Amino acid sequence: MGMTWRRTIAGLMILAGLLTLGYVGISSYIAEQLVYETPKPIVRTPASLGLRFASVTFPSRDDHINLQGWFIPGVLPDGRLTVDRMIVAVHGTRQNRESPGDHLLELTAALARHGLGVLSFDMRGMGESPPAPLSMGALEQRDVLGAVDFLRRGTAPMPELGRPRIIGGLGISMGAATVLLAASQEPAIAAVVSDSAYAEVVPILEREIAKRSVAPIGRVPGVFAPSALVMARLLYGVDFFAARPVATVARIAPRPLFLIHGTADDYVPISNFLELNAVATSGQDAHVTTWIVPNARHAQAFKKTGAEYVTRVVAFFDAALGAAG
Amino acid sequence: MRILRAAQPILVLVVLVALLVGLTIIARLISGHAGFLVERQVVLVVWLSGLVIAGAVFATLVGRSIRRADSPSSRWLLVATALVLTSPLALSLLQHPSP
Repeated sequence: MGMTWRRTIAGLMILAGLLTLGYVGISSYIAEQLVYETPKPIVRTPASLGLRFASVTFPSRDDHINLQGWFIPGVLPDGRLTVDRMIVAVHGTRQNRESPGDHLLELTAALARHGLGVLSFDMRGMGESPPAPLSMGALEQRDVLGAVDFLRRGTAPMPELGRPRIIGGLGISMGAATVLLAASQEPAIAAVVSDSAYAEVVPILEREIAKRSVAPIGRVPGVFAPSALVMARLLYGVDFFAARPVATVARIAPRPLFLIHGTADDYVPISNFLELNAVATSGQDAHVTTWIVPNARHAQAFKKTGAEYVTRVVAFFDAALGAAG
Repeated sequence: MRILRAAQPILVLVVLVALLVGLTIIARLISGHAGFLVERQVVLVVWLSGLVIAGAVFATLVGRSIRRADSPSSRWLLVATALVLTSPLALSLLQHPSP
């Protein structure tokens, strides 16, 4: 073989090696950034809104991560407390059970004042729960299932109030997707409110990775997105491809499902709502209620509509779970 | 025999990737007991340093193979090795063509 060929092949190899090393290395770093972020501190508790509550700890199902939460009994019109109907409330990504971004604490307080008890908790890796990789619902559904197990069989935080008769689920954004995933496999979740859920997370992550600025790299080109997702699976066991509520949402039927989405949502576009609704209503026994909130941005339907949001959600749970006992 | 020698880089590439992935998974399993914050750092360090070491081993081997390549078939095998090496990036570029 002549010198020219040797040089050409050597050059080709060096170029291929450097490109691949750089590509894989940068993708790995993006994956590392993607799966964890320092948790946001919790500033307020339900007491700041005049509610009684108990701080609780319970394990996630299967992998037994100890999650931190608030057990908030519902308040009946005569002032008595009740845990007859409990709602598992689930916050969005990189939030916590206070979740000031989407006003989850205010929403849970409003539900409690309408006689619905609430178990609000920090999903793994967020708030005061232990550090864990973020998987956008794929692993976090075990946290919701753990919350259901806790309500059904765990130590009652307020023994004088007994145990819940029936359990519902409510989630916002990633919390909504997570509740949908959990409810599709847990019949004890008798009704679900899903606000701003995605149908599948990978298209959203691919778009967001391309928008993201990762220090010290800066703006990340979209070409790194597929390999960053693969690297997250390889390095940290996080399978973002499994966070697909659209694949399982039909299994929630015949239990009632309430899908809420804002028309101005540019993070989880309304096409996700349409996709979820199409699949959820595909069965003959489906009971799906929908509410498209005009001009509401991502996870801002409650902030935008306030009392109307509470009225609709409470009416849904009253119909689905029965009146408070 | 010549073909086998020329195929050495591609075979070593496969072995190196398998070793690196295996080592990283073991590192994840071991460091997982210390909590995710430790696991996250350990895994990244093992993976990235493994990439650099594997790159150096591969480069040395390829250099030797290029010097020894003396037939058209061994030359084309080396070109094929370069193509396999770039396949992760090439596959991504096919999915994400530039606008």
